[in-house]
Amino acid sequence: MTTVAGAEPRADGPDEEERTRGAPFVPGQPDMWVFVLFEALVFTSYFTVYVIRRTQSPALFLQSQAHLDLRVGVFNTLVLLVSSWAVARCVQAGREGSHRTALNNAYLTMLFGVVFLVSKVLEWTTEIEQGFSFTTDEFFSFYYFLTAIHFLHLLIGFVVLGVAVYQIRSPARRSQELVETCATYWHTIDFLWVLIFALLYVMR
Amino acid sequence: MNRRFEKRLSFVWLALSAITLAQLALGSFGERDSLTPNATVTSSAIVIALIKVRVIIREFMEVRHAPVSLCRLTDLWVVVTGVSLLGSYFVGMAFSTG
Repeated sequence: MTTVAGAEPRADGPDEEERTRGAPFVPGQPDMWVFVLFEALVFTSYFTVYVIRRTQSPALFLQSQAHLDLRVGVFNTLVLLVSSWAVARCVQAGREGSHRTALNNAYLTMLFGVVFLVSKVLEWTTEIEQGFSFTTDEFFSFYYFLTAIHFLHLLIGFVVLGVAVYQIRSPARRSQELVETCATYWHTIDFLWVLIFALLYVMR
Repeated sequence: MNRRFEKRLSFVWLALSAITLAQLALGSFGERDSLTPNATVTSSAIVIALIKVRVIIREFMEVRHAPVSLCRLTDLWVVVTGVSLLGSYFVGMAFSTG
């Protein structure tokens, strides 16, 4: 975290006293927030192009969307929400010095990340087996593009979580700020999926 | 772990999960007409998703403790995304030829 009002960035997170005082702080490194906002804007532009194209061929998009299993989309969303909850617990535990709990929550986050990956691969396999590939139609092009680019972000998320685990495991290199930075990235994957889910599975 | 914080995190997670399950009902709404565009379902889906996103940003990402500038920036992105998606949908549907 980085304190405001001109204070030097600290390697560890806000202590309880600081939290109780309610002093504002940026969770993690500010550079990550610049990256998050940039990524969020890039995804907003993808989503906007998707919605515009969708309104030009509503029947085709709805027909293709009907081949997706809404329950799988809901399951994937719930899985990522659990992973986000776990990584938030990891940050809080680390801040309080409960490094064992922080580590367990980081592993839990990874576990649910893996569940999401497996579920996504199975979903793609099912769609392809049914004959719906990237080139089937415009809806499926968007479907594979958006889910694949999100998938790529998730894979990077595992490297990021690996960094968090590496930090938490050793007292010598432990940096709460870095753990918070990693958590910020992971939450970004979560909220981007929430939008992808609404646009691909729910909207009409 | 701080019990109050832990309770709050769990409550937020439960609320987000409940809203997600409600989206299952929204997505299945009027199944027989699922091949007809539905502005109510679409706007609800987008608005609900943006509410969930804002909750994740404020609670899980702890932006509620961040300086006002970061709170405003993230809120601005949520608003820009909402206007962009809903605007594209309604303007696009008005000029739709499909």
